[in-house]
Amino acid sequence: MIIRVHTGQGTPIYLQIESQVKHAIAAGALKLDDALPSVRKLAAELRINPNTVARAYQNLERDGILRTVPGGGCYVTGQSPGLLKSEKLRRLRPMATQLAVEAKQLRLARAELLQLLEDSYDDLGEAQ
Amino acid sequence: MNDLAIETHSLHKHYGDIRAVDGLDMRVPRGAIYGFLGRNGAGKTTTIRLLAGLSHANCGQMRVFGLDPRTDSVAILARTGWVIDKVLVPSMTGNDLVRFNRGFFPRWSDAHAAKYAEVFELDMTRKFRQLSTGNQTKLCLLLALAQGAEMVVLDEPTAGMDPVVTDQLLRVLVEDFANEGRTLFLSSHHLSEVERIAEWVGIIDHGRLLLEARLDDMRANFRRVRVVGEALPLAASADVLKTGTGEGTTEYVLRANAEAFVATLRTQGATVLEESPLNLSEIFLEVVGKGKTNVPVEVLA
Repeated sequence: MIIRVHTGQGTPIYLQIESQVKHAIAAGALKLDDALPSVRKLAAELRINPNTVARAYQNLERDGILRTVPGGGCYVTGQSPGLLKSEKLRRLRPMATQLAVEAKQLRLARAELLQLLEDSYDDLGEAQ
Repeated sequence: MNDLAIETHSLHKHYGDIRAVDGLDMRVPRGAIYGFLGRNGAGKTTTIRLLAGLSHANCGQMRVFGLDPRTDSVAILARTGWVIDKVLVPSMTGNDLVRFNRGFFPRWSDAHAAKYAEVFELDMTRKFRQLSTGNQTKLCLLLALAQGAEMVVLDEPTAGMDPVVTDQLLRVLVEDFANEGRTLFLSSHHLSEVERIAEWVGIIDHGRLLLEARLDDMRANFRRVRVVGEALPLAASADVLKTGTGEGTTEYVLRANAEAFVATLRTQGATVLEESPLNLSEIFLEVVGKGKTNVPVEVLA
């Protein structure tokens, strides 16, 4: 998979990596037991601090999305089953707020916004 | 003190009535990539020259790997590489300089010298004075990297380099430093480069360190909040660095606890238009903005 990070935005780089890995899994680009590049390799490719990559991988491991084999790389285990629903909602709320504000400013109807979300959700397909 | 590569306390360096370094307190963790940021004339180069033992402080303390640059500069120079003035003997070629430097450093690596000559596309048979400014910098860098130093200090390393070489340099720094527990201290005002590779950032202005923190902690805590509402507080908390109003909108810049702040505003009937993180360049401008009374900013870990 190709990971790209941007420094122009305020989002921490480790969060950008986390969300791109999650997105790739949700979209089926990364499957169970697929390998991710090593910390060192990804850091060199992206010209970023290896500790940043390590932090992203640790968080993904904590969330049950990756598993690390000592000295043997990093593999996809599944799709964040470990989180409580409240935690999942807490993470998504800022994005939902942002979306709602934008929609209101653009005078988009509630149903149209919901339709947009449903379409985006469906675009990711059935991958689990 | 053992886990610090550099430590300074109340460091002062005055030139006449110019306070180039004015009570600098800095702590650079060992093994970190530390971005030392400031505007032109903020005191970056002066600080680095003090640490290298090239000039003498008026007062204050400093330590490099626990050693005092005023008395132990030889011991410090044996363990550290400095790319500061970027001036070498003009008539010596790259190969001459490699042969010359090799003898001073027990951990010198010819393999590294050859590797960086290739990475930086340097013609090692040319005399130093025949090289372009960018290539002179690259040669200085090659020598610092090949000496196997525990810490390399780079003063504006990418000044005068083209984007391709800058990219190669960043790759070299990331691959060869961060993975080997070596410390990299670089001064710069190229914030986007620093933002990619640095783990720690120190912002200096008028000779004082205004902010020193892990970059991730800064990004996790700093927020810009824009709201619409009546009779909003102008500075309701110590976390508010700046408040601005205009056209019915109030904007806050917070250094921490934005979530709680936003919740409070909501209970006061405000509509929150935006709550967004700041990138390094925005944080830099908030901390070092023109005409501000520069107050040190504490960042929560």
